[in-house]
Amino acid sequence: MAGDPLGDYLPTFIRYIVAGVAVFALTVGVFYLFRKVFHWRREAAIGLALITPWFTGFLIFSAFPILASFVLSFTDYNLQQAPNFIGTKNYEQLFTKDINFWPSLRLTLLYAVISVPLSVFFSLMLAILLNQKLRLIGVYRVIYYLPSIVPAVAVVLLWRWIFNPDVGLLNTVLSPIFTLIGQTPPDWFGDESWVLPAFIIMSLWTALGNNMVILLGSRKGLSVDLYEAADLDGASGFTKFVKITIPLMTPALFFLVVVEFSSAMQLSTPAFFARATPAAGRFMNVLIYNYGFEQARMGYATALAVILFLILLGATIIIFRSQSSLVYYEGQQG
Amino acid sequence: MSTTITRTIATSSRPSLSPSRLRQRVGRALLYIFISALAVALLVPLFWLVASSLKEGSHIFDQPIEWFPANPQWKNYPDAWSALPFTRFLFNTLFVTLLPVIAEIFMSAIVAYGFSRFDFPGRNFLFIVMLSTMFMPAIVSLLPTFLIWKQFNLINTYDPLVIPAIFGGTPLFIFLMRQFFMGVPKELEEAATIDGANIAQTFTRIMLPLIRPALLAASIISFQGHWNDFFGPLIYLNTQAKYTLTVGMYFFEGGVNEQPHWEWLMAMSTLMLLPILLLFIFFQRYFIEGLTAGGVKG
Repeated sequence: MAGDPLGDYLPTFIRYIVAGVAVFALTVGVFYLFRKVFHWRREAAIGLALITPWFTGFLIFSAFPILASFVLSFTDYNLQQAPNFIGTKNYEQLFTKDINFWPSLRLTLLYAVISVPLSVFFSLMLAILLNQKLRLIGVYRVIYYLPSIVPAVAVVLLWRWIFNPDVGLLNTVLSPIFTLIGQTPPDWFGDESWVLPAFIIMSLWTALGNNMVILLGSRKGLSVDLYEAADLDGASGFTKFVKITIPLMTPALFFLVVVEFSSAMQLSTPAFFARATPAAGRFMNVLIYNYGFEQARMGYATALAVILFLILLGATIIIFRSQSSLVYYEGQQG
Repeated sequence: MSTTITRTIATSSRPSLSPSRLRQRVGRALLYIFISALAVALLVPLFWLVASSLKEGSHIFDQPIEWFPANPQWKNYPDAWSALPFTRFLFNTLFVTLLPVIAEIFMSAIVAYGFSRFDFPGRNFLFIVMLSTMFMPAIVSLLPTFLIWKQFNLINTYDPLVIPAIFGGTPLFIFLMRQFFMGVPKELEEAATIDGANIAQTFTRIMLPLIRPALLAASIISFQGHWNDFFGPLIYLNTQAKYTLTVGMYFFEGGVNEQPHWEWLMAMSTLMLLPILLLFIFFQRYFIEGLTAGGVKG
């Protein structure tokens, strides 16, 4: 085998075990600290001890890096020399001088705002269909889930072929229609006005299966009582869907919208390898990677990352605020 | 599917069939046709992937598309495998997949148990903090995290891909498992305590087996995420021998050689699908069950 596998694996494996033991020791330590020193109730001390592994990870891999990002975004760090504090210069340059910034923001936002509702809507339809008592339903579920297990790299390359203007599958299928209306089929990734639709179609193909499984899980969890009551009242299938299924599934739908929006704003692997024309703008994650890792402008790149973070934070807060009027939780009144 | 249609026709010729039953049968047949058509549409790209993996490189983009290669090039598979050190890549991938999956599932279960069963000051606040990290853009923490690993001289080792999993698991899994734990009757734990079981025994012998569907669902999602991860290995590894399958595969697109080897890329992609496909087929029922309790209560 190439290289020195054991020499590569063993040190990491040892550190993995050591880290595991350290986390365990920390957990026990927290328990004794709060039980013996602060005299907490036994139950409270156990609870706090059990979440210690997460809390440690949160401090090291979330809280600290975010704070560091905020600090670095005010510097000109280039990985070689120590960072210099340069005030809000990075932000000023992003907003006023950087010709890549606004197109990138526009493309990323449009992609998220359009692809998320579409994907959640179609996944819901699919989940309802696959909830029927049909023969071979397991086979259909596996088929629908298949696209979401393809490695992202392979997905992009596959879709670069599908979107190929000359030999691609999509244009081969569509060309009769376009000939009929006297147009040439689109160049998808090669034409700046078709880049966004292309990414949205690609994302639908990949995301449907995953979302469908989550919604199917939620649909299966609904109790049959309400449906039986509705049957007694002679409600039609459509009425039952609108009045029972949808309201009861809003928690799952809400969950999906939040998660999907966050991941759409962070589209990375597909955005990287689609080789879409740069005229349409680059997705924000790609731009951050370009600035940070390729041009070694870490300070500037983190400023951009902080902006992405603030947009997502704002959007998540807005979505959560609207939750009370849109999402129905069982056991709550109204 | 065909049996349903013939049955529909056969029964509809019977005079005793009421119109509403007939409507139901026809509706059912239409449903089958619809979901089958959609299934075919979703499968076409994958079918092309597998078909292309068996073609000669120069004929992959031939028009019209040859859906069943007349002359299947099975040698693409061994050729691609030996073009780059793929045996090594496979072990690398297993290494950076299995270790984090085990740690993530176990740690998520412990943390979820803490959040669901024990009351302590600040519990709800910390739970919300935990959930909100789920929506935080990874790239914000990526740059400083990269600098941390660089500080410890651990760039180009597997540590950045493996070690973080030990620190507390994944918010999504913690959330999912907490929903399951909350559905377990408290009496079970109390009975175990009366029988003299300590907290670790109650957790491993009683609680974990009861949330098996959630553990399975989380394991599959986690496995898939690490197995297919591309960015992590790309950023942290820079010696070819240390690459994972996804990164190695990407080189067939023209990274190392002058010309892209699409047929090899397709062959390796097909191989990479198999483990996850098998996992999903075997555990499909548990998988959906495992996500059920998580969806309902929101």
